[in-house]
Order: sequence, then structure tokens, then C-alpha cells
Amino acid sequence: MGKVVKIVLAGEGGQGVQSVAEIIAEAANEEGREALYIPNFGVEQRGGVSVAYLQIGDEPIGAPKFQTGDIVVALSDRAVHRTKQYVGPETIFVYDSGIENVENELPKNAKKVLGIPAIEVSKNELHPRVFNIIIMGAVIKATEVVAVEDAKAAIEKKLGYKFEKNPKLREMNFRAIERGMELVASAM
Amino acid sequence: MPEKPIQGEKRVFMTGNEVVAWAALAAGAEIMYGYPITPQNEIMHYWTRLMPKYDRKFLQTEDELSAGFTTVGGVLAGRRAFTATAGPGNTLMQEPMSMAEAMRLPVVVVVQQRGGPSTATVIYSQQEVTMTTLGGNGEGLRVVYSTATHQELFDYTIKAFNTAWKYRFPTFVLGDGYQAKMRESLTFYDPAERGIEMVPTEPYVGKPGMPGVDRPPTHLRNTYNVEEELYEVLKDYLADYAKAAPEIAEYEAFDTEDAELVVVSHGVVSRAGKAAVKELREAGYKVGYFRPITLRPLPVDQLREVANKAGQLLVVESANGQLDRLVKEAAYGCSAEILPMFKPGVGITAEEVVARVKEIKG
Repeated sequence: MGKVVKIVLAGEGGQGVQSVAEIIAEAANEEGREALYIPNFGVEQRGGVSVAYLQIGDEPIGAPKFQTGDIVVALSDRAVHRTKQYVGPETIFVYDSGIENVENELPKNAKKVLGIPAIEVSKNELHPRVFNIIIMGAVIKATEVVAVEDAKAAIEKKLGYKFEKNPKLREMNFRAIERGMELVASAM
Repeated sequence: MPEKPIQGEKRVFMTGNEVVAWAALAAGAEIMYGYPITPQNEIMHYWTRLMPKYDRKFLQTEDELSAGFTTVGGVLAGRRAFTATAGPGNTLMQEPMSMAEAMRLPVVVVVQQRGGPSTATVIYSQQEVTMTTLGGNGEGLRVVYSTATHQELFDYTIKAFNTAWKYRFPTFVLGDGYQAKMRESLTFYDPAERGIEMVPTEPYVGKPGMPGVDRPPTHLRNTYNVEEELYEVLKDYLADYAKAAPEIAEYEAFDTEDAELVVVSHGVVSRAGKAAVKELREAGYKVGYFRPITLRPLPVDQLREVANKAGQLLVVESANGQLDRLVKEAAYGCSAEILPMFKPGVGITAEEVVARVKEIKG
């Protein structure tokens, strides 16, 4: 029996962290594994830090939230502050290296702290719209919770109707996953 | 005849609110009455999206008082009817539910608890336990199932209609904002294919035949002129409730036989309780797990047995002692010391329960 993998994703509203968590959860479920995904939500319609809690394992998942993540991803300076509490000695902490003046705020107790230039890559190489898919690739590489083919199938399921109209979008999304995986691989 | 909403068994992955809508469809619910409130909204959204295909109905009312009373009306007309609410909406719902108790109407209400008091948070709590079990001006003649997983949300939403129509007490499915919004897997099924027969419904009013000639006249009351008249009716109701209670009460327990301390929790918090007890057992702690599934009526005999065997009960809940009060009433006179772990309006993790038990046990 594998251990449950616990993931926290946090970013600004609109950065797409909830979609990433949902797609990974769907992919794990399709693999026949147990997954539990819960968003934080409040009364705000936009703005604020958006946090997604995701757990994947082989047995039914326990409490929906947890103290310490195996991987914690923060995509803005506010998200870095907000997610420090989920970091422990076994945590891999991933943040976007484009966030300015955050060096002193990064957690000091993590197993590893990885800065990846996801925002930059999405802007200069791909498209800002696939920023979150780059992050998805990064999470998949860092945790190996789902196979990349299953993640692609889950994206296809969610966005297939858009890909029908514009097949280039499919190519770009799949490229984004691979780039995310590469970014983590080189940072590790 | 529209097709059955669920054919065969099917593993699905979705939010709890979506699960409730599907379960109500599978149970043959004919109409939902409702007024929007977070975190319950998507029950209405999914129901309204699904219902045209299966020839069901929906009425949005002007508030929860009205949603409760129209649900009462639907049941009087013999419809398998339900509503869903949360927080301040649940507060308003207590008035019509009190009428449902008075007239023994099998109304089904799904509650997704949010923070309180008042508007508080739209997120989560277990602070609607007192209100859902004992709300309204009356004696709490109602059934409350507290679910912990999406599978249970599905199972107990279906069961709620049967309990309500079998015993004729208003029946609640008590979830919370976490269960409403989180996604996890469960198995859908058609109740009939699992051998679950839906208790038939019947109208309270407008029955065929001449009243007093072909059938006894229908006499539905929630108003009485003299004290004794009310007392006579309530004595019968209370006797019915006491007789039904052991049949209705449900619980889940393990490792209680040799436990020095038993973690008592309900609903989504019991997931943390369960994980904590398993972890503590592996670490050599003599701990057990007890979870009432029905908060009203409570599984009193089983709880008392545990409370006389274990030295300590640790009551864990996302409220300031609402489950604790029910437990203490049921366990009155039992030998166990009852300890609190209360976090009103906040989620509780397995790690926190483990830490608390270690703190107690040293």
C-alpha cells in the first residue's frame, strides 16, 4: 500500500490552481486510485489567494484537509505567505522564480525549495493561458502521483471541446505539461 | 415513462452537492423546493439541470421559510419532496420543520453546515447539530443522519426518504461545506437493483371517497384548544418515536473492546477520528473509535456500553460542544471521563487528533 500523497496548490484567483487540482484528481480517479480534492472558498467572487488541497492514495482518503503537504506549490507572493504553514521537513516547496522580493520569505524547514520560471516560460515560449498546465506538469513530475498520459487524457476530457475547434490548443497544452516536468527535473 | 436516472452500478467522481442531486433522483424524489444559500447551492443547480430529463419538478421560493412550507405542502399532496439549506437558511427552516413534526410529515431536508452564528462563513462547520437535532418549538421528533463520505451522502439521501415515509418523522441529511464542495469517488446505483424498495408515498389531503362515509375524515392539526388534547397527541408521538428509535439508530465503531480512550466524532470529522485511531493503534495506544451516524436518535445503548467500558471518551467536533451535549445526555451516569476537543467552525485534521490523544495519554 502506497502512502497518501498530499498536495497544496496556491495562487492568485484566476491563475487556475483549482483547475489543476481538479484535473490531477480526475486523472488519478480514472487510474482507479482514490483521490480527494477540496478547494478553499469564501464569499469573494475574485481576488484573494486561492488554495486547493489534493490527496491521492490507494485507500479511501481521511480528513479532507491536512497539516503538512508532501508538495506545496505557491504561485504568488501572497500564496508563499499563506502556504508556509503546510511545509514540514518532508515537504518539497515549489514557487515561481518570477515572484519578486520573496527570497527571505521562503520556508526554511522544507526538504527542498524549488524555484521554477513557469510564468516566464508561459509568456515567452507558450501562452499565458497554459501557465497552470505548466504547473500541473511540475506537480506530476515532483510527485509522480499520476502518469503523464493519464493527465493528458484528463485534460482532453475537460478541454476536448475546445481542442476540436482549435487543435493547436491541444498541442500547446500537452507541450505545457512537458515543459513543466522539464522545469522541475532541472530544478531538482 | 422517462428512463431511470441510474442504470447499473457506476463509479463516479464529483462534488457532494452533485451526489445529493443524483441520490434524490435515484430515490424517486418528485420535487425539490429551495432557496439558494452557500454551500448548498449546487444541489439546486444540479437538480434543476437534471430534472427535466427525468420529469421531476423544482420550485424556487422567496426564502427558506417558504421553501420549508412548500416542501410540507408537497408532502401533504403525497409527493416525495425535499429541500436543501445551510446556516441561516436552516434557522428559518426550523419553523416549517416544527409543523412537519406536529403533523408527522415525511419531509426530507439536506443541510450543508456552514460557520455560525449568523452569516459567519460560507465554508464549513458542525455548528448546526443542536439546531438540526432539536430545533423548533417542540421535542425533536425527527431523524438526523450525519454523513462522512460521498458514498454515505448518496446512501443516506436515498435512505432518508424511506425513513421519513416509513416512520412519518421529518428526516435530515446533515452534511457540511467540506462534503458539499469536495470531490471524491463513490459508486452510484439504482436502489431497486440493490434490493432497496422505496417506501410508497400517499397524499394526506384530497384522498378519494366521501369523508366520514367511504373513509375516515382527514384531520390534520398543528393547533390545539386545550393542554390535555395536545398532551394526548404528544404522548402517542413520543411513544412512536421511542419505539422507532432503536430501529433507526446507526453507528460505526472499531477497536473499542480494549480501548482506554475512545475518540467520539461524527460527520466529516470522523474521517480524521478514524485515521487518527488507526495511526495511534499502530503506535501502540489503546484507543478506539465510535461514531454515531444518527445524531437523532442517538445509538444510546451502544454509546453507553462504550462509555462504561473505556476510561475516557474524547469528543472531537467542529463546534463548541454540540455533539458533546448529546453524548453527555446519552452517557449520563456512565463511568468514562468525557474530554473535549472543540474547534468551532474550523476543520479538524487527523494529525491534530493524534496530537491531542498523545497529550492526554502522555
